[in-house]
Amino acid sequence: MDSRTAIDSKNKNPLRFLEPIGKAFSDFGKRFADGSLGTKLSHFIFGAGNFYHKQYIKGLLFFLLQVAILWFMIFCPSVNGTPYGYKALSNLSLRNLSEGGDFDPLTGQFTAGSDCKLMILFGFVTIAVIIIYFMVWNMNIKSSFKADMDRKVGKKPTTFTEDLKELLDSKFHITMLTPTCIAAAIFTILPTIFMIALAFTTYNDQDMNNLGTNLFHWNGLQNFQAVFTGEGSLGVEIKNRFMPVLGWTFIWAIFATFTCYFGGIILALLINKKDLKGKKFFRTIFILTIAVPQFISLLAVRNLLGEYGPVNAMLMNWGWIREPVGFLGLNNGDSETLAKVMVIVINMWVGIPYTMLMTSGILMNIPSDLYEAARVDGASTAKMFFKITMPYVIFITTPYLISSFIGNINSFNTIFLLTGGGPTYTGYQAGGTDLLVTWLYKVTIDQGSYNTGAVIGIFTFLITATITLVTYRRSRAYNEEDTFQ
Amino acid sequence: MSTNVHPKKYRSQSRNRVVSLSVTYTILVILGIIWLIPLVWIVLSAFRCEFQPDGTFIGRVTSNFFPRSFGLKNFQDLFSATYYGVPKAFLRWMLNTLIIAVIDCVISTFLVLSVAYCMSKLKFRMRKPFMNISMIIGLFPGFMSMIAIYFLLKSIGLTGNPSHPEYSMIGLVLAYSAGAGLGFQIAKGFFDVIPNALVESAKLDGCTNFKIFRRIILPLAKPIIIYQALMSFTGPWMDFIFAKVIIGADNAAYWTVSVGLYSMLFGTHPDTNLFTQFAAGCVIVAIPIVTLFMFLQRYYVEGVTAGAVKG
Amino acid sequence: MKKWIAALLAVVMSISMLTGCGGGNGGNGGNQVKDDGVIRIWVGEESAEFYQKVCDEYLAAHTDFGYKIEVKGMDTGSIAGTITNDPTAAADIYTVAHDNIGKLASTQCAKPITDETLIAQVLADNPESYRNVIYSTLNGQQYLYGVPYISQALFLYYNKAKVTEEQAKTFEGLQEAAKAAGTKAITVTGDDGYNMSFALLARKVSDHSTTVKIFEGAESVSGGSKGESNCQGDDTVAIIRWLQAYAADPNGFKWASSDGWDADLDKDNNGVLAVIGGAWHYNTAKSALGETNLGITMIPTFKLTAEAVEGLSGVAAGDEYRGGTFADCKCFMINAYSAAAKYAKEQELILYLSGKEVQNASYLECMNVPAYVGAESYIKQCYDEGKVTESQYNLAAMQVSMSEWGIPQPFITGTLNTYYYSKNAPAVFRAMIDKTAYPTTGDQVLSETESLEGVRRGLYLVEYLWMHGVTPKEFPASLPEKA
Repeated sequence: MDSRTAIDSKNKNPLRFLEPIGKAFSDFGKRFADGSLGTKLSHFIFGAGNFYHKQYIKGLLFFLLQVAILWFMIFCPSVNGTPYGYKALSNLSLRNLSEGGDFDPLTGQFTAGSDCKLMILFGFVTIAVIIIYFMVWNMNIKSSFKADMDRKVGKKPTTFTEDLKELLDSKFHITMLTPTCIAAAIFTILPTIFMIALAFTTYNDQDMNNLGTNLFHWNGLQNFQAVFTGEGSLGVEIKNRFMPVLGWTFIWAIFATFTCYFGGIILALLINKKDLKGKKFFRTIFILTIAVPQFISLLAVRNLLGEYGPVNAMLMNWGWIREPVGFLGLNNGDSETLAKVMVIVINMWVGIPYTMLMTSGILMNIPSDLYEAARVDGASTAKMFFKITMPYVIFITTPYLISSFIGNINSFNTIFLLTGGGPTYTGYQAGGTDLLVTWLYKVTIDQGSYNTGAVIGIFTFLITATITLVTYRRSRAYNEEDTFQ
Repeated sequence: MSTNVHPKKYRSQSRNRVVSLSVTYTILVILGIIWLIPLVWIVLSAFRCEFQPDGTFIGRVTSNFFPRSFGLKNFQDLFSATYYGVPKAFLRWMLNTLIIAVIDCVISTFLVLSVAYCMSKLKFRMRKPFMNISMIIGLFPGFMSMIAIYFLLKSIGLTGNPSHPEYSMIGLVLAYSAGAGLGFQIAKGFFDVIPNALVESAKLDGCTNFKIFRRIILPLAKPIIIYQALMSFTGPWMDFIFAKVIIGADNAAYWTVSVGLYSMLFGTHPDTNLFTQFAAGCVIVAIPIVTLFMFLQRYYVEGVTAGAVKG
Repeated sequence: MKKWIAALLAVVMSISMLTGCGGGNGGNGGNQVKDDGVIRIWVGEESAEFYQKVCDEYLAAHTDFGYKIEVKGMDTGSIAGTITNDPTAAADIYTVAHDNIGKLASTQCAKPITDETLIAQVLADNPESYRNVIYSTLNGQQYLYGVPYISQALFLYYNKAKVTEEQAKTFEGLQEAAKAAGTKAITVTGDDGYNMSFALLARKVSDHSTTVKIFEGAESVSGGSKGESNCQGDDTVAIIRWLQAYAADPNGFKWASSDGWDADLDKDNNGVLAVIGGAWHYNTAKSALGETNLGITMIPTFKLTAEAVEGLSGVAAGDEYRGGTFADCKCFMINAYSAAAKYAKEQELILYLSGKEVQNASYLECMNVPAYVGAESYIKQCYDEGKVTESQYNLAAMQVSMSEWGIPQPFITGTLNTYYYSKNAPAVFRAMIDKTAYPTTGDQVLSETESLEGVRRGLYLVEYLWMHGVTPKEFPASLPEKA
């Protein structure tokens, strides 16, 4: 436990991550000077040192890696005519672009112009590959130098099997984390960086159509300026709709979280009432909404509430309404407030069972002597609920509250499937019930305004990240991680 | 006098209890009905079999909650129909989804467990930074990176490959499971509850970390394994956006079932008369998932609770 | 300590190496996919089976063709989007509505057609009006891009049980029938530019005239002249004001319900009596009304009211107009990324697929209305010979008649089809009919559309959006701008 606290206190230094880099540089000279011939050679040919120490498999792996990366860098494999490798690095500047369109009617040969989005993406991939190259380079030297040292003190350099064994024990975390790190780097981190980068470009299908070009450029911070001046399609949309959408996103997240939370607790109390028969039966009914895929259950609700759906027909039969009510704001002119209330109510239908399930377990674990003591003191049922049950449950489930709040901010399905963001605001992408995520979807996937989407994405991210980090760092789960262990 | 108080109080208490119990029953029954209405309606629509006077089948949403006549036509049509030029498309979609879900389930569960174990029980330098980074990355909406993922997969030939459209199913599995490891928080919460002493004593006995994971942690982790497997298995059945982009709008033969069902209702020229068929499809899709949930309910609750308590 | 990360990164690297093999030839001009001996074709979902059959027949007759042919059915509305996302993954030959030609050509997803025989066939078979819209430019030179094979235009579906044939001929008649039935009279299938053409392109019955011009005489060169557009004529103003009143009437026009226009049309719901739609809506309309109740006719006529022409000099109350339409066509196009070796064979195949015989067969089997001039005689012949039902005949015949009242959706290279793609023009149009402001919040461009001045400004805005793709900074002091 002590060692961990030591590590954690070291963690506090924000520049800590720079230390290994500095150390690498200082070690570098030393290794080149002190190393064996193999180590010296390793600076140029990967794995040479390992061969020198007869660690053939390891040496071969290093060497193959070097060959592969160099091949990748020099021969520039291409996808859709956009190259990787050294060409990708110069392409990243988005200069010297070609409009393309050379066509030879006789042969049918057609040459397309530059694909800027791929140039950016492949540029980033290439940079990542270069970083990997230097990491491997450093590792290969270190590995050889370690073998040098082992020799010096009279030990045999480690064999391949020994290295493998180590991976199952002292370096087990590397074995376990590597697949996730690689997968996340390729499919999550790289695309995210790419997306962020688009915020600094003119990549906007609508604008590009108007200019009659397929090419886009870096434009620095102009997009962010446009947000404040309200210029261009990006500026108009974000300036006028960001605050309303952000506000509604928060109202939604707060209501969605707390209605489901307290609703769930109350439902759990009802179901777990002493002497109540058929607990399992009732629980099963409520679990159904969790088990049925959301695009099915939510579309069912949407159609039930449709203009000509059963609910409107029934209300009209009973004479409660004269004309169909637009519950979900799907038509122009439907009430936005009603749509907002409806999505929150329908979300309770989806969300309450989750909390019910979760709190059921917790409720049963409340130490019964707490209640006994209260009963002796003559406390009423209501008092016991507010003084014992609620505080206990809230205390235990704070982390859940935080994560479900964040989850609700990004609750795509509920809005997308129920209202589609409606009622629409003529002239804008963002409708009355659009959350930041659904707005992003419309702007990027429907409209192809990638720079607008990226700017909204960055703003959204800054807000959610701040909330999360602040609340998370203060939460018990983070600070008292070891209390249960 | 005083002796009378107790029985009286007792009697009134039991009367109170009966009243409160029946109130509870009433509330629960009403809530239960509200909760079931939309689902019952979908099932009823799936079995609806109504015709116009001139024999045209009515497949659209109608204002009557209860069908005027029942039949299996929707199911028959669903299984025999050709959609997007794919004969018996629905069966193929079910099969595709099953394959994708099973593979995704195995890979994702493995990744989640391994990361969660590291984060919970191993001590190493990058632990806290890794946890923070993984949480922050989870905040970016996934579809923003959809085009990037498409072209990265295309770079390795796993999508947008006209001569091998089936490869895009591998691509989809990769895209689904790649990020899974970052969602380790719930499993970590579960592992955190396993006493460290257990690990320490095994270490003293000379067990390697791998052995500890295999022999001690995994057997204890059955609920969380099942929870994770359930979650990642059901994921592909519910995604209707990502799958279409990765597999390709033209490769209807390799779509997952949710993409297919969604396209039935929301094409450019949607045929709303397919609604009852859509409902039939929904019922078929929901059956295996609901059954799984019912059987594995206990583990699901344990998983949810672990995640909630230890975020 | 991290050396084994490297080992696993080797996997990544080897995957990257695959890139080279999977991704194409690299080097200069290497954006063509490999020729793998298959020509892939994307057509509308409903006709996929038919075209596969036709292609198989062609292969059987031409054993030396040298390529296999694979036909796939696609959602026609999203084909263009799918292609522009990643043209290398798209089919060698695809079919789109002609208004996508500009977009596909300018985003370099399409290859020009240069085969003399094919060009001759296209020019000989198709109406004059198509010629402006199937050509586009590449590096300053004009090329044929699209080969028409299906024509599309809007017409009217109506509920025969509630509307007489006579009533369906005029908007006023529909209104009268709606009053009797206690419903709205008419709706459209969507509020995009294409569907709104019924009002925008309405023409005077007496001389087929309209003052509306969209990109007339435009040079189809990137950055070239956008030609002349006009949307501010007195007739257009009067039509908008007429439609405003018609939409406000309890038995007039309504926008399609969120449940779908067919839910409105459904006889049980009794929402509207008629809908302006196209041939591709036939099955849905049929299922809403039943075949016996489904009437098909031309888009009705209407008479301008005194209120509509108030303050306008170019029109008079009682002038009769007929709702217009964009008379479009669907075209075969060749993918720019298709291997050069296939080029000749692709054109040969298109020559066959767009020939009159195959177009006729596709009418019989898939209800695709042929695009060639004189198709009506074949349509009539099919009906006379009892090969098609009455409603199937009406469908094709009415569409052909409506084509005479419409123009193909115009587009310009570079700016594309501004009417359709700069989505704000239809939004302004809708705002005018709803008499709301545009945009609904924020810095308002158009604060009201109720007054004559408001309508004039709205139409100026539409025209400005066509020409510039953005909203103007301010309005001219007096409207109309042009006399």
